[in-house]
Amino acid sequence: MENLEYLKSLLDIHPELQYEIIEQYWTTDFLRFYHSQTNYNISKETTTLSATIYKGKKSFNFMLDNATSEKIDNAVHNALTIIDKLPEDPYFVDLENDKTLAKPREVKNNIEAIPLKLKTEILSRIAQAVAPHNFDIFGSFVCNHQKYRLINSNGLDKTSVNSPYYLEVKAVHNKSQVTVIEAFGGEDFQYFQEQNFIEHLLQKIGYCFNDIVDIEPGTYDVILAPRCLGEFAQYLTYGMHARSLDQHSSFFEGKLNQKVFPEWISICDDPDDPEIIHKDYGSNGHIYRYLSLVDNGIFRNFMCDNYYSHKTGLPKNGNTGSCLKIEAGDKTLDEMIGSVKHGLFISSLHYMNFINPKETSITGLTRDGTFLIENGKITKVVNNLRFTEKVARIFEHIQALENRSHPVPFSGNYEIFDIETVKSPHALVRDFNISSSTKTI
Amino acid sequence: MVQIIKQTIQKLSLPEITFADVRITRTDNEGIFFQNGFLRGYSTNLDSIALGIRVLINGCWGFAGTRDLSSSSIDKAIHTAISNAHFGSLFQKTKVEFPPLSPVQAEYEHHPEQDPFKMAKEEKIDYLQRLAEAIKPQEKIVHSIIYAAFMRQEKYYANSEGTYAHYTFYNTLPMMSVLASDGAQVQSRTWPGHMGAGRAGFEIFHKHKFEENTERIIKEATDLLSAPTIEEDKADIIIGSGHLALQLHESVGHATEADRIFGMEISYAGKTFIKPEMIGSFQYASPVVNIFSDSTDPRGMGYHPVDDEGVPGKKVDIIKNGILVNQQTSRQIAPLLGLEPSSNMRASYGDDFPLVRMTNFCLAPGKGTLDELIQDTEHGYLLDFTKTWSIDDNRNNFQFTTEIGYKIENGKIMGIVKEPTYFGITKEFWNSCDRVCGPEEWDYQSTFNCGKGEPGQAMQLSHGVAPARFRNINVRVKI
Repeated sequence: MENLEYLKSLLDIHPELQYEIIEQYWTTDFLRFYHSQTNYNISKETTTLSATIYKGKKSFNFMLDNATSEKIDNAVHNALTIIDKLPEDPYFVDLENDKTLAKPREVKNNIEAIPLKLKTEILSRIAQAVAPHNFDIFGSFVCNHQKYRLINSNGLDKTSVNSPYYLEVKAVHNKSQVTVIEAFGGEDFQYFQEQNFIEHLLQKIGYCFNDIVDIEPGTYDVILAPRCLGEFAQYLTYGMHARSLDQHSSFFEGKLNQKVFPEWISICDDPDDPEIIHKDYGSNGHIYRYLSLVDNGIFRNFMCDNYYSHKTGLPKNGNTGSCLKIEAGDKTLDEMIGSVKHGLFISSLHYMNFINPKETSITGLTRDGTFLIENGKITKVVNNLRFTEKVARIFEHIQALENRSHPVPFSGNYEIFDIETVKSPHALVRDFNISSSTKTI
Repeated sequence: MVQIIKQTIQKLSLPEITFADVRITRTDNEGIFFQNGFLRGYSTNLDSIALGIRVLINGCWGFAGTRDLSSSSIDKAIHTAISNAHFGSLFQKTKVEFPPLSPVQAEYEHHPEQDPFKMAKEEKIDYLQRLAEAIKPQEKIVHSIIYAAFMRQEKYYANSEGTYAHYTFYNTLPMMSVLASDGAQVQSRTWPGHMGAGRAGFEIFHKHKFEENTERIIKEATDLLSAPTIEEDKADIIIGSGHLALQLHESVGHATEADRIFGMEISYAGKTFIKPEMIGSFQYASPVVNIFSDSTDPRGMGYHPVDDEGVPGKKVDIIKNGILVNQQTSRQIAPLLGLEPSSNMRASYGDDFPLVRMTNFCLAPGKGTLDELIQDTEHGYLLDFTKTWSIDDNRNNFQFTTEIGYKIENGKIMGIVKEPTYFGITKEFWNSCDRVCGPEEWDYQSTFNCGKGEPGQAMQLSHGVAPARFRNINVRVKI
């Protein structure tokens, strides 16, 4: 952190400046496997120093990889040379001023706790378990370790460490290509139960030997796996950001404290749930706290950072939707499947994109195991399907939720590989719009 | 840097290492972002240095990357890459075969017309601010963006076979967009669309005639609010270059990345419907369709003198007269298909692992102008400027929405439609292509954001295309 202090000392000479400085160290051990063997092993590490400098309502940002004092001198010189000549942002008022510190917590470095040798041993056992069924495993086993320190000219000084891990296994039948998925992630590797993981995978493999069929476009009652409902919730939160509201693209515009979904739908952002990867701080260093988003069907809060709070007048909370949780319902998964006469079980989603974010219209596909449900039982494998839907309508059409929520890891795969968890139950959704078939598995 | 890379490759000259390569990148990035007429962000990341070491030991790859080029850091990366290969080989059934190649030496330096890193910052800001002012919220326009991203990258590559390459290039991404609202709905228009980047400097703004198109996008976004949607189930469509590049990218480009055939991308990006036995006989498209991968053309962002595993740049036919004849491959994968490596291994930064990536992936020109093609169309739609894209795990079922459609009646444009959406199956769609416009309409369209691999890499690449017509396409999607 010497570079951060050095940069701070250079900026403190200029009392007319405000600034936010972030230093971030990120390292990963990334094992990627295919056909039940290693594809490649990657270890990477980066240290990044970034600063946003404000002079009145003018600002300039720079980032330095592997900074040196010479690079910092040059960057500050360049920033001070240009900043007076830049146009103002009239909506900038002040930097973050929330000085609340997160509770200290012990974070184990999972790169050390889950060494490569252990990863290959676990994967070998999973591969051996599925091999008798003529399945191979594909996927990734990742451990990250990240340190972050943020300071600003309002006196914030916040440090955070986390070390998530992420195991995603896709078991693929060597002939039919029928695929099922099992994933686990978090911060404490003690929660990972290898035998349970293998049993869940084998249970899903049990559905894969039925006939493969195609279905006609139309509306179907569907059971969404937690991964799917969680992903739809992530898309839904696009409109829950004050930024979207400001950009006139929010479905929730004018709906604060109004009923938007059935009363059994509650969604929150909960960093304190032990099965969710914890987040100490949100946007610009604001403390990350529990935030109710939808409470018994009523839309309660926009997620709002310091800038958009000043601009929109909404209360600041610093949440980013990184710890989403959909509250469980009161049905077992078997009861939910048992209630479907003719419908689908959808395991995973692929390549979704908004058509119109304000309307929450979206298209995407099913992946990694789509199954036909007939008379309350999973009976056949279905080719991957395209859906064209409105995310808000999916939540409006939820008929029942499973009586437990499952943590589902998701990878943010651009820039640095980040890992987040969403906690979600299975959901029974009526009239889900299947718009075409891919005709492939 | 030359000394560092040569010393590093020398240190990797160990008996246990079958093959090793080292890449170093030195990258400058700059981004300028105006929102609603005001400067919201001006950011730089200059002189970012990254190094990656890849080794093949006992038939298994190991890799380590760092942004610290001190000698101790490089030694640590060497040790980690070797260790990763050793441990990775504990979980392996088939050893990687890697046929040798003759060494190559290559140098290349790209010179943009207007170097964005040498221009005065004030000059860039003044120009972009004028654009931002022209499209700021007014009447039905409620939100607007001007964005510019400039990148300069210098790359050094060396491998244990004696290959050494050093080259420098500039890529620029220019973008403007407006959002119109009538209170109930919103519609957007961008310029020059999502594939508007290019191997160029600041001159790309002038090439795309930004100033001349501010009024156009404001008018079109506003008009879209009251425009009808397509009512037919099926229609003939002409796809403009800005969107056709993405259609080509998703349904042919990614589908013919051969690592997908072998399941190497199942865990993230997906597979492909292509099987090895299809190569040489599969009727992928109609006979008017010719598609090639060309890393030898310096006009595109996919140009390189050698790829990221030492294969010299190549032009390779992928689809010839509609027949699938080749794949985008690596040195590891090509022999498994009986092919020669196609020079498609690329890594975004020095500390990224190289993957099979598109370079300049192009639809060959046919004949005639866009105006002539419109005149030749009795009833249909000209679709352009991508709004939504989605394609399945096997690159077989796609659905796209463009920002705008222009209705064609008896060879003339007769109004616009909003959110035109079409879908199809890759083979059926490309076999419905009956005309591709000629060289006068052909140009490169480029993107900064092709995602693949884990940890993720955003690749910059290009597509040479000319507008093309597709017959009897599904254009009605119930939402």
